[in-house]
Amino acid sequence: MALATLANWPTSFMPNQHNSKAPLAVTGIGAACGAGFGKTALKEALFGTKNLFSFLERPGRQSDKQDTPFIGIELPESPPTILPARIERTVGLSGRVAVSVLHEAWHEANLDGVDPKRIGLIVGGSGLNSREQALAATAYSKRPAFIPPRYGHVFLDTEVGSICTSAFPIRGFYNTVGAASASGLVATLQAMQAVQSGQVDVCIALGALQDLSLFDLQGMRAMGAMGSARFKDAPQKASRPMSQDHDGFIYGEACAALVIERLDSSRAHYGILAGGAQVVDGNRGPEPNSKSQQKAAHMALQKAGLQVEDIDYVNGHATGTPLGDKTELETYKELGLEKAWVNTTKSILGHGLSAAGAIELAAVLLQMREGQLHPCNNLNPALDTSLKWVGPAPQPHKIQNALKFSFGFGGINTALALKAPSSEEQHDA
Amino acid sequence: MGSNIIFEVLINEIRLTIPELVDHPIARNDAMADLGVNSMERGEILIATLEAINLEIPMTQLHGPSNLGELADLIHAKSTQQ
Repeated sequence: MALATLANWPTSFMPNQHNSKAPLAVTGIGAACGAGFGKTALKEALFGTKNLFSFLERPGRQSDKQDTPFIGIELPESPPTILPARIERTVGLSGRVAVSVLHEAWHEANLDGVDPKRIGLIVGGSGLNSREQALAATAYSKRPAFIPPRYGHVFLDTEVGSICTSAFPIRGFYNTVGAASASGLVATLQAMQAVQSGQVDVCIALGALQDLSLFDLQGMRAMGAMGSARFKDAPQKASRPMSQDHDGFIYGEACAALVIERLDSSRAHYGILAGGAQVVDGNRGPEPNSKSQQKAAHMALQKAGLQVEDIDYVNGHATGTPLGDKTELETYKELGLEKAWVNTTKSILGHGLSAAGAIELAAVLLQMREGQLHPCNNLNPALDTSLKWVGPAPQPHKIQNALKFSFGFGGINTALALKAPSSEEQHDA
Repeated sequence: MGSNIIFEVLINEIRLTIPELVDHPIARNDAMADLGVNSMERGEILIATLEAINLEIPMTQLHGPSNLGELADLIHAKSTQQ
């Protein structure tokens, strides 16, 4: 064995302030979805029966033509006011929602006592403010001399992270990662790395709200990714992941933040982020790739020290696009996940795009804590009946080991394996 | 439109931009920086003021004044040149 020198000394052995090999735990969650702000609203959405799907009504999502409006989910209320008035008035929807969600996660994890230099933030998402950008561009198109100067910087995706770090004492680092619909999960993977490497002691992963414009909606419909208006008389039936009747995903506004730090048995936590992986399959477009999905799962399981048969719950990407669902089913079956419970969070919350991976990870952790799985809506007739789908009612089940998938346009495949807190570490909500 | 009216427009825009100053007295010899208005906000206030009085001039022509009264005088002078 070669002697360790400074040159070959593995960085993972380098001492840091918290020289611990403790696993990574989620100690705080903030959420916003179609049911409202906060985890209570998210739980009501997941385990209740209220339909959240309707028609998109925000300014900038309406067509001049007499088209049927897009089916989807919008937040039912404005974010709680947290920012000073002078800042609040200049911040877009995605930024204001992020601050609210971060506020919830921050206080649950009790981060006020942590050295700000040891806290990091990774915002997941790109093109976050396109609806408001389009509205502003139209409003000022005939009077460019009077464009408010802030439009020189708010179009950058750093806007969300900069607002968050101006409102909370986060001084370790922040950045923004774009990974299409996997952004929320990629932000989580990178936040995990930031804590594992010792760069910071606490890292917050935030899947930001993707504020889609009409043009974005129309583009995604043109590419065949977004569901049609054929359920316009019954919008609650439109989001049909893994159903034979699916014809695309249905948008749902969302945002979630997860506080990630080393497990400390004296502190409450939701679960363990045991191992995650990202696989790039070299594809610019939206086509899914089962082999890469499987590879991501195998890598995540290996890092977690788990076997496929250890997984008793799968939270997939499952958007409701025909090719996406078919490809993902192939992944489940090739991996041998037939014994694990499966449900489709997008059948309840819609597809949050940049936020999807984070809000669905929050859903996994809340189900873990609640000891039940949320229903699977609009599944029947199911594309595949050999899997263990949760039915139309909540399913009592204590998750031990979960596997979460998120995929993104541009050949992005991610998987994350989670473990339940051990019984002595569990805390009541 | 006289300098005093422009000064009133400036105050209105300051209070729209910084609602925290809504009850704060603002006089002609106050400088925006002394009121806690940061540089981006000063830019927003100036542009909104120019839009309110429909005056299109480059922002660089408004450098120099040391308080709101001088700024109102300068904007007034520019508006009469147009």
